[in-house]
Amino acid sequence: MASGRDPLAGKLPVTLITGFLGAGKTTLISKLVRHPDMNRVAVVINEIGEIGIDHDLVTLSSENISLLANGCICCTVRTDLQETLRELFNLRRAGLMADFDRVIVETTGMADPAPVVQTMVSDTLLQAQFRLDGVVTLVDAVNGAYLLEHQPEAGKQVALADRVLITKGDLASAEQIASLEATIHAINQQTDIRHVRMGEIAPSELIGLGLGSARANDSTLRFLGESLDAGAAEGERYLGARTTRHDPRIGTLSLRFDAPFTWDTFSAALQLLTNLRGPDMLRVKGIVNVEGKPVVVQGVQHIFHPPVTLDRWPSEDHGTRLVFITRAISADSIRGLFQAVGAITTPA
Amino acid sequence: MASLSAPQQAARADQTLARNMKLLAHNDLSGFGGMGEGISMQVAAGGRRILWLAHESAPKNFTGVDVTDPKSPRMIVQTELPHAKVRSNSLDVVGDILAVAYQTQVPGMKPAGVDLFDVSTPETPKLISHFDCSGPYSRGVHAVWFVDGKYVHMASGAPDFQPRNPLDDQFYRILDVSNPSKPVEAGRWWYPGTREGDAEPAPQRLVSRFDTGFRAHNTNVFPQRPDRAYIGYIDGGAFVLDIADMSNIKVKSHWNHSPPFNGFIHTLLPLFERNLWVVSDECVQDGGADWPKLVWMIDSRNEANPVPIGTFPAAPYDAFAKRGGRFGAHNMHENLPGPASFRSDTIIVGTFFNAGVRVYDTTNPYQVEEIAYYVPGAPPLSPAGAIQLNDVFVDEKQIVYTVDRFGGGLYVLEMNI
Repeated sequence: MASGRDPLAGKLPVTLITGFLGAGKTTLISKLVRHPDMNRVAVVINEIGEIGIDHDLVTLSSENISLLANGCICCTVRTDLQETLRELFNLRRAGLMADFDRVIVETTGMADPAPVVQTMVSDTLLQAQFRLDGVVTLVDAVNGAYLLEHQPEAGKQVALADRVLITKGDLASAEQIASLEATIHAINQQTDIRHVRMGEIAPSELIGLGLGSARANDSTLRFLGESLDAGAAEGERYLGARTTRHDPRIGTLSLRFDAPFTWDTFSAALQLLTNLRGPDMLRVKGIVNVEGKPVVVQGVQHIFHPPVTLDRWPSEDHGTRLVFITRAISADSIRGLFQAVGAITTPA
Repeated sequence: MASLSAPQQAARADQTLARNMKLLAHNDLSGFGGMGEGISMQVAAGGRRILWLAHESAPKNFTGVDVTDPKSPRMIVQTELPHAKVRSNSLDVVGDILAVAYQTQVPGMKPAGVDLFDVSTPETPKLISHFDCSGPYSRGVHAVWFVDGKYVHMASGAPDFQPRNPLDDQFYRILDVSNPSKPVEAGRWWYPGTREGDAEPAPQRLVSRFDTGFRAHNTNVFPQRPDRAYIGYIDGGAFVLDIADMSNIKVKSHWNHSPPFNGFIHTLLPLFERNLWVVSDECVQDGGADWPKLVWMIDSRNEANPVPIGTFPAAPYDAFAKRGGRFGAHNMHENLPGPASFRSDTIIVGTFFNAGVRVYDTTNPYQVEEIAYYVPGAPPLSPAGAIQLNDVFVDEKQIVYTVDRFGGGLYVLEMNI
């Protein structure tokens, strides 16, 4: 009688909202917290005064946790996000605050989201009780292209994004927007781009982006991304000539391996890659055939989420398919590294 | 560590608390939703799934709910007790035969015993037989265990049993019901020294505020070990009995945490593949007065020397002790052998009165992990002012059925584990 537990099912999903100063995060959050579908959602924000919720409060409960009339909980960061998430879990576990089923975090404008993701994976309590559902990055249609060219953090915010929301589209020309979309896809080919007007967004557009279950289903395929579909071309992806304004060395690589790995070989190769080029490995995501079993891996720089063994393959394709977003690393060199490690770990 | 001061209104008993469990349906059972500690599922003709529920107290006897679609439970029958001083707190169903326990408020009254009903047409249960356990010192039957169609194992008084202390009236009895129209006693065992005339001395009682009795509560026998009975004997502790010869029952194991703890061992659930026992207490006092009431993990590799190795992580005292009513352990889902019962040697589901229903992963028995809970908001007009989840049954599809002790009725839940 095995427990048959799904290691992901019980964890509280967390969505990170990133975006540069002026990208429209405050406008979006202030509308979001009032949305009727925000019951039982905790929103962690930097500064409660900015979003003006005084008229929507059930009570002004404490310095930094407020319950709104729609059931949404607003929580201001006091020290850092790590402590805030720990306290939210502990207070909820003790029944000392209103219950919530998911968390949405507004990160600070300048933030590189990678350390936040790493915190969620490396803190033992957070790793046990929360899971990263996704990174949503706001990009301003007017200034986004400039920031992607001049601010490395902006590029990383896009590289790590599961979804990009383009804001202020009404202030930009159609050409500007098309060029921005091309730039975004050149950095992160898999990301899904949507447009938001005046911060009007349904909570459902911010959730369900990550791997929520080890039981394979349609959403597993969505999580793994369209490029894993049969027929998708392999190799480096650069979409046209208009993409040169961002750091041209950042791009998406898709690799496929048909022979199964042993876990030792696969993890050793990945370890070697992150040891040598961790800072340039912005993101890795994919499904690995480990001696026949489907294992989902995802990581940011040198930090990896715990690998998740799915209960079955989500499609007929049993090949290993990995998507890397890297800075100045070629697909061939990664493939060569995996093959070399495979060769050295297999007795001749 | 930074501490966030908590909103005070959030701990109110009318608030539902949930972690990894979702309410599929709620049914107040026509206003008679004060439920006991008997939940059993019948797979009736045509695959209909009928949940049989015992009531905490009169006026209702038992209730049948069609849960073929667990999202829309439909009450199909609710029966009456003959008078208000009897309760039918426990029941079990095997095939189409339903066994129901009757316990009176004071000794000497009737009906005190066990009824067997034919529920082949669930809407119209037909009485097959009544086994009388009444007597001058007997309140009848508190709990039944009926899973094989042949024997009813029960906590019962008897006409010929005079306890030294009136709290010790119910002991372990086995009824042979292989002929359901004529049940006969097949065996009995009581805590030595509790019966008038016993050679052994009377047991040392707990201090008066925790003295709840040396009597049987749950009396479980599983198909994996038909020669063993797993008994919660309230203040007497947990027993494993050798019942291979039902006319000569022998003690194989005994473990008790009280004193220094506060008595009332309720259930002994063996995890056969792992040589472990899960032992639950019952909280019987309001406001945390008998805290802590726990679930214990016992290493049973050596039957003669059961060793406690841990307790399940309890719900936080600060949040629940004063929430209203009782707070602490009670019934667990008992891995019943029936066709519609969930069985797991690692996942344990229990009810904890105002701390709701809670799900534990015991994969590491030294460090049991709480993985889900559901604490319904207080039912309307509840005298406790908070939910008081009393019993739980989990079906083979992992749907959780749990009941409130006062008024709340039936809650159907889905686990996300």
